[in-house]
Amino acid sequence: MSDVKQNQSTERMTISGDLVPDAFLPWIDRHVAKLGLSRTIFSVSEEKIELDLSGPEELIDMMEMGCSLGPIEVWVEAIERHVLG
Amino acid sequence: MNKIGMIDEWYPVGLFSQLDPNGRDTWLMGEPIRVAIDGEGNPLVTGGNGRVLAVCVRYGHVWASLGKPDHDLFPIPEADQPGRRLVEVGVVRVRCSPLRAVENFLDIAHFPFVHTDILGSEPHTEVQNYKVEIREEEDEVWATQVKFYQPQAAKSASGGITTEYMYRVPAPTCSVLYKTCPPRPSEWDVITLFVQPLFEDVCDVWPWMALYDDDTPMTDLIHFQQTIFLQDRSILENQIPTLLPLDPGMEIPTRADLTSVAYRRWLKRHNYTYGAQLVAQ
Repeated sequence: MSDVKQNQSTERMTISGDLVPDAFLPWIDRHVAKLGLSRTIFSVSEEKIELDLSGPEELIDMMEMGCSLGPIEVWVEAIERHVLG
Repeated sequence: MNKIGMIDEWYPVGLFSQLDPNGRDTWLMGEPIRVAIDGEGNPLVTGGNGRVLAVCVRYGHVWASLGKPDHDLFPIPEADQPGRRLVEVGVVRVRCSPLRAVENFLDIAHFPFVHTDILGSEPHTEVQNYKVEIREEEDEVWATQVKFYQPQAAKSASGGITTEYMYRVPAPTCSVLYKTCPPRPSEWDVITLFVQPLFEDVCDVWPWMALYDDDTPMTDLIHFQQTIFLQDRSILENQIPTLLPLDPGMEIPTRADLTSVAYRRWLKRHNYTYGAQLVAQ
């Protein structure tokens, strides 16, 4: 149990590319729910989406993996992550 | 079904050494084709309407295209190195997406569970961190610095060793594996997976190898590789969904799946979608 707690993290994820937010945002919500993470989206444009994610680090890794593919109409060019204090 | 993005690519359709003047009927991306040899000893591949398809011969196989390829088949320089034994393993028919077959080949994590006591064993199941990139100049997916403990990495290996791998995807249905060569540590063994897409959910897999191994009988080399691929077949034919998802709706990839994710991104970027599931179901 203590190991799990130690791996808890809150990170800012910045996704850039050709993002089609109308398709990508609902997809992000579904993927967040599947992984049991919590999220706050605070910046959205066609080229960039910024969100904060909280949960075990390994699951945030999996969120990054999933987002790098995303729905078929979206092309993700890059994902940056920063641990928030 | 969308084969437009892949129609101008080269695909293996048979072994050159087994060409027959009477021809062999097979399929390529849903189209019936006949693979034969003409009177001058050249391969002749015809499509369903009798048209002659573009062909080339390389790595022991005949390659054909339904379209108009504007590029040569990808190079494997090791194929021309003297001293290597070139092994034509034959063909294994698998009822799965051709893209699934390639993706499975790229997946190291399944070794201990599917190829138990050969390519992997418990408790040595951890996949160490490795590097994955899409090389822009070659336009290929590469995974390097892949290390994994294997009880019997090759027919020529006498015991367990930590094997180093490099994976390369130079074409949508082909992968080349470079692997620690037990008899010559400074060289790589080359094991390839050439996949002929018969339909979106059925493929013929033509493995081929270029090895430094002077001792192992050819029959044993072939049997070793066939054993591996037959073990894979039972897994591949039971995967759900049958097609390779490009939207990870049902399959949630992890860090160990970096190569698979890079492969799927590369397919998506090029619209290589024959055998792919585009929308998660």
